[in-house]
Amino acid sequence: MKKVFAVVLAGGLSLAILLGLTGCGGSGDGGSAGGGDSVTVGLLHSLTGPMAISEKSVRDAEVLAIEEINAAGGVLGKQIKYIEEDGASEPATFATKAEKLVGQNKVATVFGCWTSSSRKAVKSIFEEYGSLLWYPVQYEGMEQSPNIIYTGAAPNQQIVPAIEYLIEQGYKKFFLLGSDYVFPRTANMIIKAQVAAAGSETVGEEYAAMDQTDFAAIIAKIEAAKPDVIVNTLNGTGNVSFFKQMSEKNYDASKYMTMSFSIAEEEVAAIGANILKDHLVSWNYYQTTDTAENTKFVAAYKAKFGAGRVTSDPAEAAYDGVYLWKAAVEKAGSFDVDKVLTAIKSGGISFQAPEGKVVINGENQHLSKPVRIGKVGSDGLINEVFATPSPVAPDPYLTTYDWAVAANIKPLE
Amino acid sequence: MTKLKNQAGNLCFSLIIIGLAVMPLLMAAGVAESPLIIFLGKCVAFSIVAIGLDLIWGYTGILSLGHGLYFALGGYGMAMYLKLRATHGAITEFMHTGGLTALPAVWKPFQSLPLTVLSVLIVPAGLAYIIGYFIFKNRIKGVYFSIISQALTWAAYSVFIALSPYTNGNVGITEIGSLAGKIRGSANQGRLTLLFYVSLAILALIYATAAFLVRTKFGKLLIAIRDGENRTYFSGYRVSRYKTFIYVLSAAIAAVAGAIFVNFNGSITPSQMTIAFSVNMVIWVAIGGRGTIVGAVIGALLVNLCEYNLSSGGMIEVWQYIVGGIFCVTILFFKGGIMGLFREQIPAFLRKLKVRGGQKVES
Repeated sequence: MKKVFAVVLAGGLSLAILLGLTGCGGSGDGGSAGGGDSVTVGLLHSLTGPMAISEKSVRDAEVLAIEEINAAGGVLGKQIKYIEEDGASEPATFATKAEKLVGQNKVATVFGCWTSSSRKAVKSIFEEYGSLLWYPVQYEGMEQSPNIIYTGAAPNQQIVPAIEYLIEQGYKKFFLLGSDYVFPRTANMIIKAQVAAAGSETVGEEYAAMDQTDFAAIIAKIEAAKPDVIVNTLNGTGNVSFFKQMSEKNYDASKYMTMSFSIAEEEVAAIGANILKDHLVSWNYYQTTDTAENTKFVAAYKAKFGAGRVTSDPAEAAYDGVYLWKAAVEKAGSFDVDKVLTAIKSGGISFQAPEGKVVINGENQHLSKPVRIGKVGSDGLINEVFATPSPVAPDPYLTTYDWAVAANIKPLE
Repeated sequence: MTKLKNQAGNLCFSLIIIGLAVMPLLMAAGVAESPLIIFLGKCVAFSIVAIGLDLIWGYTGILSLGHGLYFALGGYGMAMYLKLRATHGAITEFMHTGGLTALPAVWKPFQSLPLTVLSVLIVPAGLAYIIGYFIFKNRIKGVYFSIISQALTWAAYSVFIALSPYTNGNVGITEIGSLAGKIRGSANQGRLTLLFYVSLAILALIYATAAFLVRTKFGKLLIAIRDGENRTYFSGYRVSRYKTFIYVLSAAIAAVAGAIFVNFNGSITPSQMTIAFSVNMVIWVAIGGRGTIVGAVIGALLVNLCEYNLSSGGMIEVWQYIVGGIFCVTILFFKGGIMGLFREQIPAFLRKLKVRGGQKVES
C-alpha cells in the first residue's frame, strides 16, 4: 500500500514538473505585438519576495489603466493584452524575464521595475533589443536611457524642492538618514551640496541596512547632533523600525521633524498614522490631490481592488505611463518602438493625469510634473501643504542648478 | 547489464548535453528564440555550481548554505573585467559617484584577461582554503558548519553593500557585454552560439572531472568520510585535509559557474551572494538527487526551467507554492530525489509487481 502511495506521489511530482517545463502557466499566445485585433504589452514587477508589497500596487494601477483603455476602444482600434512576468525581487530574474518579454514574446512595450537595481539590470537589455520600458518610480536621477521613459520624479522634482521648502521654513541643521544603496547615497550627495550652498549645515549622515531593525545607535547619534530636521531616505522595512523606535522615545514631529522621500500612503498604513502624524513627505501626487481626474482614479482603483486600498505616487505614475504610451502610439500611428520613440522625441506627448497635466520631455524622456509637499494626517492620508505653482521641468542631471554644477554633481563624460 | 547500469548516469548526462547542444541549431533554424538560449546558458552555469555542491554535500556530507559567496566572487571577477573592457580601463560611473578619482588597486588586475581568469579561480579558492582549513582542522561539522557558511556569506554580502564605491553596492556591476561581445538580438546569434557551446564544453569537462574523481580511491574516501567520519580518522586518514581539498575544489567550480553566469546575464548583483540564492542551489541538488553528480545537473535544469515557465501568466502568484510543494514532496518521500526515484523506488516497485504476478501464478 505504501508503495502504491509512493507511485501516486511520484506521478503527481512528475506531473507538476511537466507542468512547469511545458509552461502551462498560460503565458499568453505571445504572438506578434501588432498583429490581429490586439496588441500585447508586458508587465514586469515583483509579485513575490520582499518588494511584492510595493510593486503590487503599481502593477494593479497598470492593469486598471489597460482595462480602462480597452473599455474605451483600445489603442489604434486594438485591444491591449498583457503578459505578466514575476521579477521575484531579484535583479537577475528581472533580467531573465525582461529578455523573455522583449525577445521571445516580442511585446510592444514593457511597464515595469521599482528598485534602481532592477532597472539597472534590465537597462542594457532594453537598449540592445531596441525595446521600450516605462519606469514608474521616483529615483536618484543621473540616468537617461534612450529606451526608458521615466514617469516618476527626477531628483529636481522631489528632493530639491523639498530641501528648498525646508530652508524657506527656517530649518538650519539637517541630519541625513538613508538605506544603504544608490538612491539614498545619490540623494544625500545632492542634498549636502544644496544645503551647503544655502548656508545651512549638515550635522550628520547615517546609512542603515535595508532590513535593519535596531536603530538605537542611529537615534543616539541624532540626539547628539541635535538637528532641526531629519531628511529620511530609508526604504522598506527599515522605515517601520525607525519610526516605531522614535515614537517609543516620544520623539514626534514637534521634537524631530522628518522629511521623507519614500513614505507614501501605503507606507503610512504600514507604520501607523498616529506615529507619522504631522511629519513631512515630498511627492508629486497624493490620494487627496484635488483634481477631477484623481477623484475618478481613486474611485476606480478602490472599486476594482477593494475599498481598503490606497493610491500612491508610484501607482499614479504607473497609471500615467500606460496612458502616455497610448498617446505616443496614437501620435506615431504605429506600435513600432522606433516610431513611438520618434513621436516621444518630438515632444508634446501629454496626459491629463490625476496629479495634473504631465508632459514627456522629448530630450530626456522624463515627465514635467507638479511637486507637492505633504503632511501626514491622523487619518493616514497625506495633505498637501505646499505645491509648485506650475509643473517642474525634469532635470535628471541637475544641470540647471548653479550649486549642483559648482559641486560637480554630474556623471562621467 | 550491470555495466550499463553503472553507465546510466553518464548516459543520462550525454543525453542532456546533446539536448542542450541542439538548441542553438534550433535557434539558427528559427524555431527557438535567443532569449531561451541565453536563459539555458544561465542554467548551464547553475548546473556547474550544483555539481560542485554535490561533491561536498552528496559525497562528503558537508552541507554548505553559503556557496553563493563563491559563485558571486567568480561572477564579480568576470564582471570587473568586462566592465573595464567597456570603459577602456577608465574608472566607472559608480566609483566617480562614490568619490574615487582613480581606478582602485583591487580593480587593476582585472584589466587583463589572463589575470582575471586567474583571479576568478584563485580568490574564491584561496578564501575557501582559509575557511576550510580552520573549520575542518577544528573538526567543526554538520549543522555547525552550515551555520558558519551562512554567516560568512551574510558577512561578505554586507561588505559588498557597504563598499559601494568599489562594488556599486546592491546595484552591482551592470551594463557589461560578454566575453564574446554583444550576444543579444538576431544579429548576434553567432556569438551567442559560440558562447553557449564554450559554456557547454566547460560543463562537460567539469562533469567528467567530478565523475572521474568520485570513482577513484579519493572518491571512495569522501564517501567514507560522509558515512563515518570518526572511523575514517581511526583508519589513519587525515580527514580534514581531504575535506579542505574537496571544499576548495567545490568553491573553484562555483566561481567558474559564476563567471559563466555573468556572461549570459549581463550584470552581477550581491543578490547572487545571498543566503536565499545559496539555499536555492542546495534545493536543486536535493531535487535532482544528491550523491549522483548527474542528479545535480538534472535538478538545476529542471527547477530553473520550472521557475522560468511558471512565474509568468496565470501561475504568477502561486508559482512559489508549486516549486515549494515539489521540494517538500521530494524531501519527505523521495530522499534520493529524481535520480533516487529511477534508481531505487521504481525498480523496487517493478520487483514487487513481479513478485505479486509470480504469486498469482503459483496460487
